[in-house]
Amino acid sequence: MPTPLRLNVNGHPVEIEVEPHTLLVELLRGPLALTGTHVGCDTAQCGACTVLIDGQAVKSCSMLALQAQGRTVTTVEGLAQGDGLHPVQEAFIACHGLQCGFCTPGMMMTVVDLLTHEPQPSEAEIVHALEGNLCRCTGYVNIVAAVQQAARALAASAGSAP
Amino acid sequence: MSASLEAGRYGSGQTVRRIEDPALVAGRGQFTDDVVLPGQTWLAFHRSSMAHARIIAVDTSTAAAMPGVLAVFTGAELVAAGVKPIANAAPFRRGDGSPTATPPRRALAHEFVRHVGEPVAAVVADSLGAARAAADAVWVEYDELPAVADAVSATRPGAPALCPEAPDNIAAEMRHGDAAAAARAFASATHTVSLEIVNQRLAPVPLEPRCVLAAFDRSSGRLTVRLSSQMPTGVLNGLCDAIPELTRPQVRVVVGDVGGGFGMKTGIYPEDIVVAYAAQALARPVKWVAERVEEFTSAAHGRDVVSRAELALDADGRVLALRVRSLANTGAYATATGVAIQLLIGPWVSTSVYDIGVIDMHYTAVLTNTASTGAYRGAGRPEAIYITERLMDAAAREMKLDPAELRRRNLIQPEQMPYENAMGQTYDCGRFEQILDRGLALADWAGFAARREEAGRRGRLRGRGIATFLEWTGGNVFEERVTVSVTPGGFIEIFSATQAMGQGIATSYAQLAVGVFGVPIERIRIVQGDTDRVQGFGSAGSRSLFTGGSAVQVASERTVARARELAGEALEVAPADLEYAAARFTVAGTDLSIGLFELAAKQPEARIFIDSTSAVSGPSWPNGCHICEVEIDPATGAVEVVAYASVNDVGRVVSPSIVRGQLEGGAVQGIGQALCERMVYSADNAQAISASLLDYALPRADGFRAFRTEFDTRVPCTTNRLGVKGVGELGTIGATPAVVNAVVDALDSAGLGRDAERVQMPLTSECVWRALRRDFGPSPFA
Repeated sequence: MPTPLRLNVNGHPVEIEVEPHTLLVELLRGPLALTGTHVGCDTAQCGACTVLIDGQAVKSCSMLALQAQGRTVTTVEGLAQGDGLHPVQEAFIACHGLQCGFCTPGMMMTVVDLLTHEPQPSEAEIVHALEGNLCRCTGYVNIVAAVQQAARALAASAGSAP
Repeated sequence: MSASLEAGRYGSGQTVRRIEDPALVAGRGQFTDDVVLPGQTWLAFHRSSMAHARIIAVDTSTAAAMPGVLAVFTGAELVAAGVKPIANAAPFRRGDGSPTATPPRRALAHEFVRHVGEPVAAVVADSLGAARAAADAVWVEYDELPAVADAVSATRPGAPALCPEAPDNIAAEMRHGDAAAAARAFASATHTVSLEIVNQRLAPVPLEPRCVLAAFDRSSGRLTVRLSSQMPTGVLNGLCDAIPELTRPQVRVVVGDVGGGFGMKTGIYPEDIVVAYAAQALARPVKWVAERVEEFTSAAHGRDVVSRAELALDADGRVLALRVRSLANTGAYATATGVAIQLLIGPWVSTSVYDIGVIDMHYTAVLTNTASTGAYRGAGRPEAIYITERLMDAAAREMKLDPAELRRRNLIQPEQMPYENAMGQTYDCGRFEQILDRGLALADWAGFAARREEAGRRGRLRGRGIATFLEWTGGNVFEERVTVSVTPGGFIEIFSATQAMGQGIATSYAQLAVGVFGVPIERIRIVQGDTDRVQGFGSAGSRSLFTGGSAVQVASERTVARARELAGEALEVAPADLEYAAARFTVAGTDLSIGLFELAAKQPEARIFIDSTSAVSGPSWPNGCHICEVEIDPATGAVEVVAYASVNDVGRVVSPSIVRGQLEGGAVQGIGQALCERMVYSADNAQAISASLLDYALPRADGFRAFRTEFDTRVPCTTNRLGVKGVGELGTIGATPAVVNAVVDALDSAGLGRDAERVQMPLTSECVWRALRRDFGPSPFA
């Protein structure tokens, strides 16, 4: 039975009716047409569907849409502010941290969560944070490099902020 | 305008930001499942739960009556409608001279199922949920038959047969070389070594599952099929071959972003035919998107070859002969590519960078109750090179020689180029000793003893492995058509039938075009994946840059040449008097000039258009020296890669960061085969055991990343005008033997000696822990 759902997605209030069994990723990719969030498996292993719920990285295939009731969801489409790319997006491009780009949105959302909670992660912490995100193309070499570059960029911009 | 049309540092050889990336990092990619058409319906498959059975009945009545269901299709209905099996065009033979034997691979199973996950029925509904629920409700009555999962068991007398044409389950076989000469060489050899070697079955696992969206337009009668594929034209041809009365001009295949291919998305799949057929039958858009379990059980797997391999050497360590007997598991349906990869393409590189004159190889393609094997990154070359490099190490161990020194004594020398190997393949160029020397220096080969000793003090077993090798690239399709359109709006559009799948080929092509046109990279638009624009072989076998890129280079130059003629007419001067730079023709010594885009606007069609077909003259032979060091924790058997140095002869380099990304990302896939990946079917009933990402071990971020990777660009390829060599598979091919040789070396150092060579991939901690306790499991031929 369709049930009312109110949440905030990428800064916009959303009011919609969903079936109780609808997964968050199905809501995002379907009715909300936010197709940057991907589905790469059916066992919550690949992490391609990772989004932020109130700033925390969550696999949106493993959560019902109704569980996001009243919460704030950020998808890859909501990362960039204004015209510029988010420093994590910028770092993935600069470091060649993506090849096919399918895992990249989920990977970046995990990284945003990491750098929010640990602005200067060690390599071991980066690798640990990425355990739930699979990439088949890059061998993770340039992904880890991109995380390190993004951390430096965020630190520099925080330092230069008034 | 000229100031803004400086090419800048975006030409060939420069590290550039990929033109693919801004959309992908913003979530604006266009993967097939991102596209939704008005009136779209969803298709779901009912798949076989049995590995081998006769289909008694398929009851679709419950499914058809469920809410939202629009149609249910079965194999019997498709056969009645005239849908043909996928053509098996492999020109191979069985031992008795009869053609390749395989059961017919149908869009939907008919009369028999032959592997778990084979599609049996398809449901189309107005929602994905309804389609999947109804697919579950299809009821199939089976008469279960005995099943066989591995090639050795399948070739034993009394094994269950998959089709009457092959009571011995042998789809095809091929012998190469001179068996009598090899027998003489082995008889006269001072040293011989023999190994049993398993190249285990792998799942390619591009992160984007397959997806097909087909739409039939009644008014035009055209069928547009959008899917994730490396070979759009091959899919078009496959659809028209299978579906009655569907003609090639009727079909358009469109490919958007492809979330990884690795060979798995080459050619046509049964599911593609069903989706296209359903869209035509219902005259509505139909979409199927695979779940991961469907990918593990019905998409192509790679490798799965069991070999007995032998090397004969003289007293100085010169290889006298190579003898290989291999059983290659083709799965239930022997595909043309699956057979060719194992019977032909692998053997082409078996003698590798070594001057081995005598070979005796017998390759047998075997049918089993498993998913079909096909192309997976390297496709035959990783299997062959792994065998050869394991043998070289075994020979060095037997002779108590440095494995690098043994390799050096056998390398083909530059003055032997062009070199025809024992399979009749001609290497155009290569300086293998130069690559070996640089590899040894980069890896500090001489300093290994100290590192081993230091590791020993930490209680670790340290091993070192080397692979010197080459590979063949090209797919042996060397001609490529490219069209170029210079528009008045200031863009140069380049259409190619090669296919982007994450390798960054659009960026590399754009760099080449920048070099010819002298315009900023933003002015170049690379368009791929539309059979209405250009048709061709597609992207496989690391052919895109050296074949497709060369064609882009030629087409771009032809465009400038044509524009020069047009500029001469416009300015009323001889074309030879015109100088071209930065999208402008200038009459030499004057300020009289016309811009390229301005010129395009003046044309009757308001564009300058070139339809260009060109060809390279042969394959490319990239090669390398990969050296790996590992450490084993003897308490757990866990293997850690601790150093990896590689020197790669890749010819000229267009995009350095892309080449490095291909080599290192590819190497991680090769490490995956060495240490963790294995597609497992149960021996007794051929159930797929590792059919999820929970069960199939992919490399994760905590694996090895500290690669030291060098390119050697001093030996440009001579078969293409760019001088480039294919790089998509080189890293994968080198990594597997380098890692395994290092593990075997570490086990040898623990006192196992040549027994260490009995380990088989993947070298999991369990495997290595057991090996340290002299438990190697049964022979693969047992």
